[in-house]
Amino acid sequence: MNTQTPFIRVSNLNYQYPDGTHALWDINLEIYEGEFIAFIGQNGSGKTTLSKCLNGLFKPTSGDVIVEDLNSKTSSIVQMVRRVGYVFQNPDHQLFNNNCWDEIAYGPRNIQLPEEQVKERVEEAAQVVGLPERYFSEHPFFLSKGLRQRVAIASILALRPKLIIVDEPTTGQDARQSFEIMDFLKDLNENHGHIIVIITHDMPIVAAYARRVVAMGQGRILADGPTAEVFKQTELLAQTFLEPPQITQLAQRVQDLGYDPGTLTVESMVAQHIALHASQDNP
Amino acid sequence: MNKTLLGYVPKESPIYFIHPFVKLYFLLVVSLFPMFITQPEVNLFIMAVILLLMIWSRVDLRILRIYVPVAIAMGWIILLSYTVLGGTHPEFELLAKVLGIKIYWERLRDGVVVYCRILPMIATMVFFLTTSRERDVIVAMRSVRIPFVVTYVFAMALRSSGMVLEDFQIVRQAEQARGFDTTGKSLGYKIRKYVMYMIPLFALSLRRTEEFTNALVARGYAFTGEAAKVKRADYILTHYSFKLHDGILVALISILFIIILTLRYGYNAFSLDSSLLINWLYQILR
Amino acid sequence: MVHLIEIENYSWQYLNTPQEALKNINLKIEQGSFVGIIGPNGAGKTTLAYSMDGLIPGQYRGLKHGVVKIRGIEVEEYPRGRLQQMVGMVFSDPEAQFTAMTVEDELVFGMENLGMSLPEIRERLEWVTELTELKHLLLKPPYEISGGQKQRVALAAVLAMTPEVLILDEPTSMLDPVSRKRVFEVLQKLKQSQNTVIVIEHSLENLIPLADRMILLADGEIALDAETGEFFQRLDLLLEKGISPPGAMRFFYELTQKNLYHGRLPLTVDEAAALLRGAA
Repeated sequence: MNTQTPFIRVSNLNYQYPDGTHALWDINLEIYEGEFIAFIGQNGSGKTTLSKCLNGLFKPTSGDVIVEDLNSKTSSIVQMVRRVGYVFQNPDHQLFNNNCWDEIAYGPRNIQLPEEQVKERVEEAAQVVGLPERYFSEHPFFLSKGLRQRVAIASILALRPKLIIVDEPTTGQDARQSFEIMDFLKDLNENHGHIIVIITHDMPIVAAYARRVVAMGQGRILADGPTAEVFKQTELLAQTFLEPPQITQLAQRVQDLGYDPGTLTVESMVAQHIALHASQDNP
Repeated sequence: MNKTLLGYVPKESPIYFIHPFVKLYFLLVVSLFPMFITQPEVNLFIMAVILLLMIWSRVDLRILRIYVPVAIAMGWIILLSYTVLGGTHPEFELLAKVLGIKIYWERLRDGVVVYCRILPMIATMVFFLTTSRERDVIVAMRSVRIPFVVTYVFAMALRSSGMVLEDFQIVRQAEQARGFDTTGKSLGYKIRKYVMYMIPLFALSLRRTEEFTNALVARGYAFTGEAAKVKRADYILTHYSFKLHDGILVALISILFIIILTLRYGYNAFSLDSSLLINWLYQILR
Repeated sequence: MVHLIEIENYSWQYLNTPQEALKNINLKIEQGSFVGIIGPNGAGKTTLAYSMDGLIPGQYRGLKHGVVKIRGIEVEEYPRGRLQQMVGMVFSDPEAQFTAMTVEDELVFGMENLGMSLPEIRERLEWVTELTELKHLLLKPPYEISGGQKQRVALAAVLAMTPEVLILDEPTSMLDPVSRKRVFEVLQKLKQSQNTVIVIEHSLENLIPLADRMILLADGEIALDAETGEFFQRLDLLLEKGISPPGAMRFFYELTQKNLYHGRLPLTVDEAAALLRGAA
């Protein structure tokens, strides 16, 4: 269906932890320019391990992860992180510096950019995440959780990776904060040319933002396709112990009345309802 | 497999029939044996016995692999410090002179003796660590009536060090994900950069301390001494009964220790002069 | 009649903060009720929970006005440890609550603190591991079990102390959907056996079928307090305060806005599906 060359091509990937646990089995996956993907699955299903293989933190036990022209097996971490960024779930694990400026500059300095370019990138990244200048000299530790998360994302953005993986962006956030952070990722995807991969348990968020879903279970990919298509496969989702969002469940329940079982949002459900009743009222 | 402090013991192992206190007692007493034994062959025999005990306990012996380089490195260090760095001793018997360095028989002999003393001590330690879990250590401490507060603080320390190690792994990955790469860098650079790990680890523990304290208070525990007034029923200890064979084992270890002490100081046993290995080595080298 | 929990004109301000975290709270909770508390982050939900458990003012410094009574007695007047026996508390981070080296030690710890006898401990341990399905994990150390299992351990450890009221502060916010379901299954059993439970939660889909009563906190004040069915008829207010209601409910709310539906908003998918069939 896609004729472009993929940004990432994963072929027959297997991954085994040093203690012998086999975490990934024969993964085949292609990720293209412009995509917004959600990795879903129970804890321990392999979605985090797969993501860490994508940015070279973990090297395949067998099989290949090819990012553009680089094979992760033979590439250094420095080469990999310029292409694939990874934002960890807890901002506290990834803030090492004494002020926000140094924090964002940390990555660019690691890849040994000249100081003018570092400055340029820090300013750009801070602007994209909406971090006001007055915070530059603040210690990240004392910022609110939401701001810490922004600094963490900015510090990855400063490396200008094409693909950004965000682990559990909405955990511990309330509804308003979740939408805020997701709108921001959507903006990165639509207006700044980034491919976004989120790892999440939050199905309403997946339905509202992701265009493609990769469902995992026991170290294998169980389903991979457009969000609505994956959510239609209720039996398969039950295997991964996930449920589609409530509005999708409702549409599936009343499928026989003419609603689309792949309904993802309340808005589309309302539109369908209006259309269905209009046709009944005006025969 | 059950995870122990270091390595694994299978679900079925005779080691489970032994009270944790006996294991701790074994560690504390048997590791003293080599201090009183000079003869290398006796110490090597003790080490062999401990290895046999590990096999009997069905410990996965692959864990020993990580100690082989340690043991070899230590052997070299001891050998070098007793020969090359041994200095000049006209009173000793000169075996050879290599590149102006004098190798004395007595120094070499002492090196071998020390090395053979250390090996069984390490083996005892490894035996204990591979067959005990954190809980065993705590049960052992409690069964000799060490106050609850002490064992509890000890347990919390074990618990939180586990948490710090987990955090450390993630922080390291997070640094790598930001293009941090130590390959090919100098040691000084690495050390400087490793210091950075401390910042997030410190931040995390600060944030967790508050939650930790709240969780403790919510369980009705406070370090005020008031909770200590309550007579604690030590439920966990009821799982471990000190059986007849445990008593016999403790007695055996004690008797063995007394025998060694008696032989050593009463009969001057285990001395170098009567060591077959040392005499044989002397024959070869001279 | 003495309520289990009675809060009157209560305000709390943390030391060195510009504003009160809770303002003029009035709340009575009866024995045997199941109460859900929702609200955006920073609304004071956790502060309210800590106030009922004595962590506030015990562990935190600040200014208190008004009255917080448990069984008719002001929280500060309880001897140390006594209030915590009556009010059990489960926190959101499963990691930070696990203080012992095995699941069994963890469950027994609280009971030992209360000075229970050995037979009593044995009996309660049996009961609580049955209820939370933890038997197979008793000898496991904390680093070998998942976050969801840890959270069930935390819940079990509190239940073992048989508190009169159980407060859970976002118990499932860090869990995956399966683990979340299992925690709510335990809560379901507790509801059936007439326990008093107060849950602070973002996941409304799981909470709604269990809660008898819901409270909305916003900016440190009680913005809404009603029986669950009534509570969700005020969806305009909930949306205004940044609460994201379950999809089925919001769908019917949108229809109401467009004048396509008149009547009560459904609480669950079942109710919503039945309504659509009735309309068709």
